[in-house]
Amino acid sequence: MLLPRLLAPARVAIASSRSSSIALAASSAHTFEVVRCIAANPISPALTFIRHASHQTQGRANGAKDGPGKRLGAKKSGEEYVIPGNIIFRQRGTGWFAGENCAMGRDHTIYATEAGFVKYYRDPLKHPNRQYIGVALKRTESLPYPPNAARRRRLNMLAVQTSPDTAITTIIGEGRILDGDMTVKETKVNAMPRHKSGKELVMGKNYAFREANWQIGRAAENAGIKVRPFIPGDRFRAWQKSAARKAANAEKRGLRGKRGGGGKSKRK
Amino acid sequence: MAPGNHAVRPLNSCLRCVRQTGNGNASLVANSARFLSSTARTPEDVQVNKTEKVERVDKFPELDPATVVGKRDERRLIRFRGVMPIGSRRRRAALQNSQNIPFEQLPYQCFQDARKVLQEDRQEKIKQIEVARLRIANLQAQDEAISGGKQAKENRLRSMYNRLEELKILADINDPVVKKKHEDGEEDMNKPIYRYLADKQWRQYRRKILEQRISQLNLVPDILPHLDPVAEVDLAFGRRKIPHGDFVDSLISERAPRLKVQVFDKGERLVTVVVVDPDVPIVQKDGFEYRCHFIASNIPISPTSTSIALNQLDLKVKDTTAKHIALPWLPPTVHKGAPYHRLAVFLLRQADGNVIDTAKVGRSTKRDGFILRSFIDKQRLTPVGVTVFRTKWDDNMASVMQRAGLGDQVNMEFKRKRVEPLPYKKKDGARYR
Repeated sequence: MLLPRLLAPARVAIASSRSSSIALAASSAHTFEVVRCIAANPISPALTFIRHASHQTQGRANGAKDGPGKRLGAKKSGEEYVIPGNIIFRQRGTGWFAGENCAMGRDHTIYATEAGFVKYYRDPLKHPNRQYIGVALKRTESLPYPPNAARRRRLNMLAVQTSPDTAITTIIGEGRILDGDMTVKETKVNAMPRHKSGKELVMGKNYAFREANWQIGRAAENAGIKVRPFIPGDRFRAWQKSAARKAANAEKRGLRGKRGGGGKSKRK
Repeated sequence: MAPGNHAVRPLNSCLRCVRQTGNGNASLVANSARFLSSTARTPEDVQVNKTEKVERVDKFPELDPATVVGKRDERRLIRFRGVMPIGSRRRRAALQNSQNIPFEQLPYQCFQDARKVLQEDRQEKIKQIEVARLRIANLQAQDEAISGGKQAKENRLRSMYNRLEELKILADINDPVVKKKHEDGEEDMNKPIYRYLADKQWRQYRRKILEQRISQLNLVPDILPHLDPVAEVDLAFGRRKIPHGDFVDSLISERAPRLKVQVFDKGERLVTVVVVDPDVPIVQKDGFEYRCHFIASNIPISPTSTSIALNQLDLKVKDTTAKHIALPWLPPTVHKGAPYHRLAVFLLRQADGNVIDTAKVGRSTKRDGFILRSFIDKQRLTPVGVTVFRTKWDDNMASVMQRAGLGDQVNMEFKRKRVEPLPYKKKDGARYR
C-alpha cells in the first residue's frame, strides 16, 4: 500500500529529467532518496499491489448456511402414552440416552420398546452426567426404578389352547408328515405329470414335457415290432434291400433335381 | 519315543516269546514257533481266560504306567494289568530317559542356591508364625480391661488372626513343589496355601465368567439385590456338565442335578441349596412370577467334601427329622411359545449353629410365588455361591409335562399380544401446502 504512494514522486522526477535538459536542480533530495530505494528493489513499477493469503469470500466457500431443517427434537413429550416402535426423540449425537424400556436407533433416535408413559429423567447411579428418556409401564411410576428391586417386566402374551393334531403337525422331510400322534404316513407327490399311457415324462427343452430317451428307445419293443434276423448268405434278401434303397435314393434325387433344375432354368 | 527304542521293539517282543518258552509256560509252548510274530495267531489266542490273564501279567512285567510308551504297550497295560498310563505320552517318553533324581536334589548350582534362599525365607516365616501364635495366646489370656475393652480386644484378635493366615500362605507361596502339586491337581485343600492358590485361579477367569452371567441374565436384581460369590458351584446332570447359563434339554433336567461345590475357606459349614425360576408367566397379571423348584438344607460342606448330589441327599438318611430335602425336585417346564426360563441354583450358607427344620420349611413354603429374598431373611442365610441354567420348549417338553402332572397344560401355547396402534391424528392442511 505504501509503495505506490512513494513511487509517484519518483515517477514525476524521472519524467522531468527526460523532458528538460535542466539538471536535477529542481528535484528535491527526498526524491533521490526514493529513487535509490527503487534501484535497490527489483520490483518493477508495473506491479502495484501484493496478494496475501486470505479467506475466500465468494462462491460456495463458506457452505450453505440455511439448508432445510431436519425436524429434530422431541416427538413425544413427558407422560405421553407410547407403544413399541414409537419414536420419542430425534437428535444428532447423543444428547439423550435410551433409558428404561427404550432403545437407540442407528441415527441416535430414541424409540420405545414397551407400551407405557414417556419419562425424561437423570440416573446418577448409572451415569453422573447423562440424561435419559425412558418409558414407565404405569403412569404413576417414576424413573429410574430403584436399582436393587426386581425388574418390572410385562409378559405381553396370551395363552391359547391348541388342539393337538393341528399344533404338532409339522413337515419333517420330503413327502412325509409327522402327525399329532407321532405316526408317520406316506403322502403322494404329484409334481411330475404323467402320460396317458402311464409313462413318466421328463422336462425337455423349452420347458416342454416329453418322454424320456430310454422310453423312446423301447417304443418298438412295446409296439411288438419284430425285426427279421440278418442271415449272411441270403442273397435274395440282400438284393431286395439294395433295390429298395436305390429306388428310395432315386426318388430323393428326382425331387432334388426338379427343384434345382427349375432354379437354373429361371436364371437362363 | 527314542528312535533306538523304536528299532528295538520288534526284537524285544520276539525275545519275549523266547523267554516265555524258557519259563515253561505250558499254554505258550505251542506258540513258541512263532518267534517273529508278536500278534495273536488265532481268535482263540485273543480270548483271555483267567489263568492266562495271570500269565500275561508275568509276560509284561516291564510295563510301568509312568514310562510306558506306544499304543500297543499302553493297551496291554490297560487290558492285562488294569492300570491307566500316567500323564501324556510325551511326558512318559521323556521319563524313560530321565535319571529320576528327586526334584530337591537336582544337581544345578544356581538351582540349589536359589532353593537355599527360599528355604531360609520359609524358616523365617515359620518363626514369625510361632511368634504370632504366641502373641494371640497372650492376648486371649489377657484381661479385657487391660486390652481396652471387649470390642478393642476382638478387633485386635481378628487382625492378628488375619496376619497369621497371611504368614501361613507366605511361608509356602514360593515352594516349587507346592506350585507343581497345585497345577497337577494333587493339592490338599486342607492346607491354606492350596486353598489360596485354588481361589486365585478361580477368580482369575471362572468367577469372572460367572459374574458376567449373573449380570447378563439379570439374576441380580431379579432374584437377589446383591450377590458376591465366594464358592465355586458347578452343575452337572448325570455326567453332563452344564456351563453357567446354558440351555438344558427338558428330558435331561427332569432329574435333579449334581453340584460340585468348592469353598476356599477352612472348616465345615452347613449350607442350603435353593433352585428358583423367576420366569413363570402369569397371564392374568401380564407379568412373571417366581417358582421354587427345590430346597434342601443342613448339607455339610468343607474344602475337601465338595459333592452334593441333589437326588441322593436323603437316600441313606433313615431318621425323618434329619432329612435334608424340604421341597423335592420339580422338573423345569416351559410352555410352548413362552420366553425361556432361568433356573438359578443358589448355595446359601447357614449361620453357625443354625440348623433348619426341613419338615417345617417343606410344609410352610409354597412353590408358586416363592420369594428368595424373604426366605433368606427368615432363615438367616448368606448367599455364597450361584449357578444358572436355562430351559425352553423342546421336543421332550410335552412328555416331561405329562409326567410332572401338567398334562392339561401341554396344549397351552403362548402367543404375542397385538399392540393396538395409536389413533392417527391428521395434521391441519396448512402445513402440507
